[in-house]
Amino acid sequence: MTGSVLSPGVAALILFGCFFLFLFWRVPVAFALGLACLPILIIEPRLDTVTLMQETFNAYNSFILLAVPFFLLTANLMNVGGTTDRLMKLSRVMVGHFPGGLAQINVVLSIFFAGISGSSTADAASQSKIFIEAQTKEGYDLSFSVAITAVSAVLAVIIPPSILMIVWGGILTVSIGALFLAGIIPGLLIGLAQMATVHAYAKARGYPTYPRATLHEFFCASWLAIPALMTPGIIIGGKIFGWFTATESACIAVLYAAVLSLLVYREMDLKGLYEALSDTGRLAGVALFCVGTASAFGWLLAYYKIPEAILAGVQSWGMGFSATGFFIAFVFLVVGCFLDAIPAIIICAPILEPLAKAVGMDPVHFAMIGIVSLAFGLVTPPYGLCLMISCAVAGIRIRDAIKDTGIMLIPMLMVLALVIVWPQVSLLLPGLISPEFLR
Amino acid sequence: MPLHRARLAAAWRRLTEGYARLLSWVLVLSVGILVVPVSLQIFSRYTDLIPSYIWTEEMARFLFIWTVMVGAMIGVRESTHFEVDVWPKVPPRVEAAVKLVSRIGVLVMALVFISAGIEFTRFAWNRISELAELPLWLIHVAWPVTGATWLIFLGEQMYGDLQTIIEGDA
Repeated sequence: MTGSVLSPGVAALILFGCFFLFLFWRVPVAFALGLACLPILIIEPRLDTVTLMQETFNAYNSFILLAVPFFLLTANLMNVGGTTDRLMKLSRVMVGHFPGGLAQINVVLSIFFAGISGSSTADAASQSKIFIEAQTKEGYDLSFSVAITAVSAVLAVIIPPSILMIVWGGILTVSIGALFLAGIIPGLLIGLAQMATVHAYAKARGYPTYPRATLHEFFCASWLAIPALMTPGIIIGGKIFGWFTATESACIAVLYAAVLSLLVYREMDLKGLYEALSDTGRLAGVALFCVGTASAFGWLLAYYKIPEAILAGVQSWGMGFSATGFFIAFVFLVVGCFLDAIPAIIICAPILEPLAKAVGMDPVHFAMIGIVSLAFGLVTPPYGLCLMISCAVAGIRIRDAIKDTGIMLIPMLMVLALVIVWPQVSLLLPGLISPEFLR
Repeated sequence: MPLHRARLAAAWRRLTEGYARLLSWVLVLSVGILVVPVSLQIFSRYTDLIPSYIWTEEMARFLFIWTVMVGAMIGVRESTHFEVDVWPKVPPRVEAAVKLVSRIGVLVMALVFISAGIEFTRFAWNRISELAELPLWLIHVAWPVTGATWLIFLGEQMYGDLQTIIEGDA
């Protein structure tokens, strides 16, 4: 290392040591990441605090990240404009008669929602308001209601479109169209696993069900929901056929949601619009500000070649294909406990990429392992954003919902294991529809 | 004297509240406007109704930067920047003390954003952007403005924390 005062080891110790110290003192994650960079920026003569400004600037100056506010806005417009209600009614006639009807609806609505919005936090925020109170009124346990709302919200980033896929594709130059297709089967499998979990809970605890809907009701609900259900086709199709870029597809989603709210369902007023825009800006602001400081943090790690040092140790273990897959999932699951998914991708995905390449893992398969693991990180404490949001809406503490969340995670982790050992789960659809995307 | 101080504090609070409301409106407008350049970009590609402007992508990015920064400013006032909570439930005074410590962390960042941000802005003083040819300092100045805004909001919050620690109630 010519030209640096600090050795990689010392630099890593300062970066991670400061970061966890500040986290412990409840400094917000975004600020903890930035503050952890400061000692190094001051010590190292070639760097200064303007580096921090420049790196955060570079992070925000990205057309790809623009997809984040767009997907949040899509979700918010759907909520104020009546789209969510239509989809909820459709879910009701589809699965309402299963044991634990309302919780099943919760999961199915998340699947629909996931096909339109790419943001789990938006899903958690809106569905917590809809379901938690309604479920407890019908006799479901509060912690169960919070947990199922939070874990079903993670589907939004696994089922396309997904903010995480867009960020991943942008950072590691993987085809976003292929990632979109790759997420469909794992996402649906996880959804099924959650429905099975709800079924088991409902049988064990005697949760209520609704009467079976008639065929007529089913067709009525489907007819009303058709315009909303076309959204995934437009977004994903448009991306795959190359009509527009990932960010543009998010913008199309916004326009389409606005048209539905204003012209088709006509339930949005000016106040609703203001609130949708304001919620979007607030959530996007705090979520993305963190991306800037995380980028600076990741940039410093790369500056000292710390990832290479860590990888050299891991590579000497000589892991095979599946072992590497599980290792990657493990790293992302652990990192996901402390970081939001986008910063985690920015910091960790480039570090782990050579590892996946060394065992001949397809970049799309690697991405799906990472994205599914990080999605689970959205409900794992201490920093599980979706769980935090659901708990905040319900007014309980995270530790009160941990047990049920943990139980629900077990079947989901089994799906993750399937995704790891059986690449075809991810690669089947991209291979069938657009093989040119796979390397 | 205490009355005078209370009146001053109230005036200060009104001022920051007004500033926060202004920021909220800026945020709402900028999120709304963000859709425009990207839509233009798509429509100009598929229809002949509008020419394909070269600056749409850059405009969108610059507006996006400001949106993120304004959102981050409001996040500090509303304490919505996500934090990891590993502390058990503690009495309000201890809670206020811990909050004060965490706010000192944010304060340091605010000061860095101001001092380094001013240099960052000066650095861009005579430069213009590649496509839209906007003066770049208009973007870079978001950093010192963000730092100063945090400082304003933090002052109020830390004052409140201190009061809680000293008086022990509320």
